[in-house]
Amino acid sequence: MKIFWILVQYEWRHFRAAKGLVVLTGLVLLVGLYGIYYGTTELARQRQHLAELPALARHNVEELKTKFPEPADAGEIGYYHTTFAVHHPLPWAGLSLGQRDVNPYYVKLRLLGLQGQLYAAENVNPTKMLSGNFDLAFVLVYLFPLLIIALCFNLLSSEREQGILPLLLAQPVSAGVVVGAKLTFRVGLVLGLAWLLSAVAMGWARVPLDGRVGLWLALVTVYCLFWFGVAFIVTAWQRPSAFNAVALVGVWLLLLVLVPGLLNVYVAAKRPVPQGIELTVKQREQIHGGWDKPKAETMNRFFALYPQWRDTATIKERFVWRWYYAFQHLGDQSVQPLAAAYSTGLRQRYELVETLNWLSPAINVQTSLNALAGSDLPTHLAFQQSVVRYHDALRAYYYPFLFNKTPFAHADYAREPTHTFTSTSETPTAVQGLWKLLLSTGVVGTVGLLLFRARPIQPR
Amino acid sequence: MIQSIAQKEFISTLRDRRFVVLSGLLLALLLAATLVGRGSYRTLQHERMVAQQTVNEQFHNQPNRHPHRVAHYGSFAFRPRAGLSFLDAGLDSFTGASVFLEAHQQNSVNFSQAQQSGSLIRFGELTVAFVLQVLVPLLIVFLCFSAFTEERETGTLKLLLSQGVSMRRVAWGKIAGYGRAVALVVGPALALAAWLLFGEEEFAHNPDVWVRLALFVAGYAVYFFLWIVGAVVVSARQRHARSALVLLLGCWMLGCIILPKATANLGATLFPTITKAQMDADVHEAAQKGINGHDPQDQRSAALKANLLKQYGVDSEEKLPVSVGGLVMAESEAYTSKVYQQHFADLTRTYERQNAISNWAGLLNPYQAIRPLSMGLAGSDFAHYVHFQQAAESYRYQLVQRLNGLQASMGYGDKERKLDAATWQAIPTFAYQAPPVGWALGYLLLPALALLLWAVGLSWLGLKLIDNTPVV
Amino acid sequence: MTYLLEAKDLRKQYADKLALRGLNLQIEAGEVFCLLGQNGAGKSTTINLFLGFIEPTAGAAYLNGLEVAANSLKIKQYLAYIPENVMLYPHLTGLENLALFSSLAGFSYKESELLAYLDQAGLPAEAVRRRVGTYSKGMRQKVGIAIAVAKHAKVLLLDEPTSGLDPKASNEFSELLRQLSQQGTAVFMATHDIFRAKEVGTRVGIMREGELVDVRPTAALNANELEQLYLTYMQ
Repeated sequence: MKIFWILVQYEWRHFRAAKGLVVLTGLVLLVGLYGIYYGTTELARQRQHLAELPALARHNVEELKTKFPEPADAGEIGYYHTTFAVHHPLPWAGLSLGQRDVNPYYVKLRLLGLQGQLYAAENVNPTKMLSGNFDLAFVLVYLFPLLIIALCFNLLSSEREQGILPLLLAQPVSAGVVVGAKLTFRVGLVLGLAWLLSAVAMGWARVPLDGRVGLWLALVTVYCLFWFGVAFIVTAWQRPSAFNAVALVGVWLLLLVLVPGLLNVYVAAKRPVPQGIELTVKQREQIHGGWDKPKAETMNRFFALYPQWRDTATIKERFVWRWYYAFQHLGDQSVQPLAAAYSTGLRQRYELVETLNWLSPAINVQTSLNALAGSDLPTHLAFQQSVVRYHDALRAYYYPFLFNKTPFAHADYAREPTHTFTSTSETPTAVQGLWKLLLSTGVVGTVGLLLFRARPIQPR
Repeated sequence: MIQSIAQKEFISTLRDRRFVVLSGLLLALLLAATLVGRGSYRTLQHERMVAQQTVNEQFHNQPNRHPHRVAHYGSFAFRPRAGLSFLDAGLDSFTGASVFLEAHQQNSVNFSQAQQSGSLIRFGELTVAFVLQVLVPLLIVFLCFSAFTEERETGTLKLLLSQGVSMRRVAWGKIAGYGRAVALVVGPALALAAWLLFGEEEFAHNPDVWVRLALFVAGYAVYFFLWIVGAVVVSARQRHARSALVLLLGCWMLGCIILPKATANLGATLFPTITKAQMDADVHEAAQKGINGHDPQDQRSAALKANLLKQYGVDSEEKLPVSVGGLVMAESEAYTSKVYQQHFADLTRTYERQNAISNWAGLLNPYQAIRPLSMGLAGSDFAHYVHFQQAAESYRYQLVQRLNGLQASMGYGDKERKLDAATWQAIPTFAYQAPPVGWALGYLLLPALALLLWAVGLSWLGLKLIDNTPVV
Repeated sequence: MTYLLEAKDLRKQYADKLALRGLNLQIEAGEVFCLLGQNGAGKSTTINLFLGFIEPTAGAAYLNGLEVAANSLKIKQYLAYIPENVMLYPHLTGLENLALFSSLAGFSYKESELLAYLDQAGLPAEAVRRRVGTYSKGMRQKVGIAIAVAKHAKVLLLDEPTSGLDPKASNEFSELLRQLSQQGTAVFMATHDIFRAKEVGTRVGIMREGELVDVRPTAALNANELEQLYLTYMQ
C-alpha cells in the first residue's frame, strides 16, 4: 500500500513535468468556467426576458383601458388583450440548458383558438442553435472524455516506449499496482476538476441543496469513471501510444458522434411525428368554416360541450362575440386528436431515445443531466399542457361575460387568471440514467480487468 | 520525382490495413449519409409540396366571402428545401418549415425539426457535410501524422534525401499521394450524389444546381488540401510520431468542436437578440403611435378620410365610390409593414453580427470557413433562410393589399356584402423561387477568401518551414 | 543446498523460433557468472526468464529457491537488474529517479545515503541534480548501477551493463562487482565482452542458438584461450 502511494505521488511529479498536460488541464478548467458563465448568463437572460413580460402585458391593458374607457364588450377585450404563459427555469438549467433555446419559454396568448398560437417560435439565431450551447454539461459530456484520453492514452505505453518499464517491473511492484496508481492519480485529478467545476456552477446558479446535488455529482463521477474504464481496456491491450490515441479517439467519435447521429436517423424513421403543420392547417379550416356555417349549428355543437350556457339568448345578430369564440374553440376541439397525436409522437420519440441511450453513455448522461435540470422535451410538453389548462381557465373567465352579456370593467382585468409554470426535475429519468451508466461502467471495468488479467504486461 | 514519391505514398497507404479499414468505414458512412440525406430530403420536400398544394387549393376554393375574411383566412408559405441541402442540411433542422400568412401580423416560421426531437439532435446530425467537414480531417490526421516522423525514425528519410531529393519535394510528393488516397474515399460519395441529382427531373437541367455542386466539390478539395498540407508540415516539424498525432488531434478538436461553439455563443452574448414578444410590442407601438411617435393611427385614418372626401368632392362616406374601411386597412397595412420591415431588418442585422464573429473566425479556423461556404452553396444557410422569410412576407403583403384593394373597390357598406368565389381563383398563390448561385456567392466571399488564404498561406509558410527542418 | 539462481530444463519457444533449448544452470552466492554469445543466442531470453518478464515454455527458473513463474512478484525483492540501456524518467533528476526506484523496492534512504550511492556508481556530483533528460547514456547507466546497488539484492542480473561506459568507468564497475560478490551477491551477466568476462567472472558460459554449449571456471583459462574457445564455438 505504501508503494502504491509512492507511485501516486510520483505520478503528480510526472504530470507537473509534462507541460502540455498541465496546460491542457488548465484549459479545461478555464473552458469549464466559461461554460458555467455562459450557461448561467444565458439563463439569467431568459429569466430577464420572462421578467419583462408582465410589463408588456400591463402596457397592453393600459392601452385597452384607454381604448375602452367605459365597461366594454368582453369579446372586444378578449380579441385585443394579450397575456403570457411563462416557463420559468430551474436554477439547474444554467448547468445544462438542454432544449431551452430551441423550445420557446413563453407563449403569447389571446382568447382566440389555442392551436394557432401554441407553437409560435421565439426569436433565436438558427446558426447559434446549430452550434449548440457551451454550457457545463457540454464541457463535462464532450470535453472531459477528451481530457481523460489525453491523460491516459500513454498510461503505460509511454514507459514502455521510453524503455523505463523493464527497470520499473524489475522492482517488487506488480504491474497492477503501477497501473492502479497511475489511474488513481488521474481519476483524482479529473474528478477533482469535475467536482470543482460542478461546485462552482452550483454555487453560481444557486441551486437548492437537495438530493439532486448528489445525483448530478454521481452522474458526472460515474461518467468519468466510464471513460477511465475505456482507457483501462486500451491500456490492457498494450499497444503503442499512437495506436492507443487513435483507438480512444475512435471510441469517443463512436459514442459522441456516430451513435447519436445514427440514432437520430433511426428515431426519426421509427417514430415519424405527425406534422404539426397539418394540425394548424386543419384548425384554420375549421375556424374559418365557422363563419360560413349556420350559427345555430355552431352553437349547438358548442352547447354540447358547455351545457351550462345552453339557455342563453339565441343569436340573431350578424356578428356576436360569443359565437365567434364558440367556433374558435370548436376549431381547437376538431384538431384535438391531431394535437394529442403530435405531442404523443414527440414523447414517444423521446422515450425511444431513453430506451436506446444505453448505446452511448454520452447520450445517457446528456439526457439524464437535462432531465435533472428540467430542460428537455418532456418538460416543454408539460409546459404546453399547462398552457392548454391556462387557456381553458381564460375561456372559463371570459365565458360568463360573453354569455351573460356582462360588460367587462377596468377592475376585471386584474381578476383575470394568470399563468406561471416552473420546470420540475425529471428525477426518475435521471436516476434510471445513473443505473444504466453504472451498468455500462461496470461492463467496461470488468472487460478491462479481464483483459488485464489475461494479458500479462510486457515490459518491452 | 514528386510523382514517384506520391505513387509510393499512395500505394503504401492502400496497403496499410488501418487505412483501408478506416476509409472503408468512412466511405460507407458517406454513402449512407448521402442516401439517408436524400431520403429525408425527399420526404420533407414531398410533405411540404403537398401541404403547399393543399393550402393553395383551399385558398382558391373559398366560397363567397368578404375580402377581409379572406385576408384573415390567409395562407401558408412552406419553405421548399434547396436542391443540394441533402448534402448539407445546414440550418434546415433548426429553422421552421412554414409560416402562416395573414392580415395585420407577421408570424414566426414554425415547426423546426429540432423542436420535434429531444436533446439528442444537439449531438449533431449525420450529414454528408458533417462527414466531410469533421470526419475526413480526422482521417487525414490519422493518415498523415507519421508522414515524416516514421521515415525519420526508420531512417528511410536520410536514404531518400541522399538520392538528391529536396525535403520540399518529398513533402509535395507526400501531399499528392495522400491527396489521391483521400480523393479515393470522398470521390465515390460525391459521384453518387451527382448521380442522384442527375436522376431528378427538377435538377437534371438546372445549371444553377450544377454550378453549386461544382463549387461545393471545389471548396472541399481546398479544405482537404489544407488539412493534408498542415498534417504533413506538423509531421515534419515534430520529432516523434506521438507528439505529431497529439498536436494534430488537439488542432482538430479545437477547430472542429470547441471554437465553432464558443464563437457562436460569444456572438450571441455580445449582440443580444430581442425577444419576439418585445419586438411585436415595439412594432405595435410604432404602428399605433407612428414611427416618430407623433403620428397616431387614428389621426392617420382621419386624415385619409378627410382627403378622400375632398378628392371626390363629397361630404359623407356614403357618397364615396370606394370603401373607406378598405383604404384605411390598406394604409394601416402599409404602415405596419414598413415598421415591421425596419424591426425585422434590425433583428436580421443582430443575427448577422452574431454570425459575423463566427465567420471571421474562419480566418483562424478553416472549419469555420468551409462550414458557411458549404451551407451557402447547399442553400441551407442563414442568408437563404432570410431570403425565404422575406419572400413570404412580400407575398403576404401583396396578398393582403390586393384583398384590401378589392375591399376598397366594393364601395360603401362593403361589410354587408361578399365577393364571388371566382375572385379568389384569380389570386396567385405563393411560389418560392430560391435565389441563384450568384446571389449566394455575395454572402460567401469571406469564407471562400479565408479558405484560399489558408491554403496558400499553409503551402507557402509550411513548406518554407519544412525546408528549414533538420533532417536528423 | 539451494542455489541463488537455478535453471532446470528451461525452454522458451517463440512462435517462429526456439530461443532456449533446455537450459540447466546453477549459480551460488558469491559467484559471478558471465554468459557469452552472439546476438540472438538466447542471452536476453535467459535474463527475461529469470526476471519473470516472460514465461518458460517448459522447465523452470528458480531465484533464491523460488520458482520465478509462480512468484514473479516476490522474487523481485531478491534481485537487481541493469539493462543494456538504462532508461529513466527524463524529467526527474538522477537523485529523484534513484529515490523513486529505491522506495519502490521498499527502502527509504536519506538524501545523504542516496548521494553516496550515486557517488559510488561514479555519477559526477554536478549531474546529480540535473534532469536525466540531459544525461549521456553512460551517466544513465551509472544511475542504473546505483539503483541496483542500493537495492542490496541477493542476485544481480546484468544485460550488457557496461555498454556506453568509458574504459575507466567500466573498470570501476568491475571493481564494484567484485566487491558485491565478495559480500555474497550472485551475479549473472550477459555480455559480448570476452575480456571483461574473464576479468570479473568466476565462471563463463558460452551460448549458441539457445544452447549452453560450454561452462568453465575463468581461473582455468587466460583471456586468449577464452577468446579461442569462443571463436571455435561460433564457427
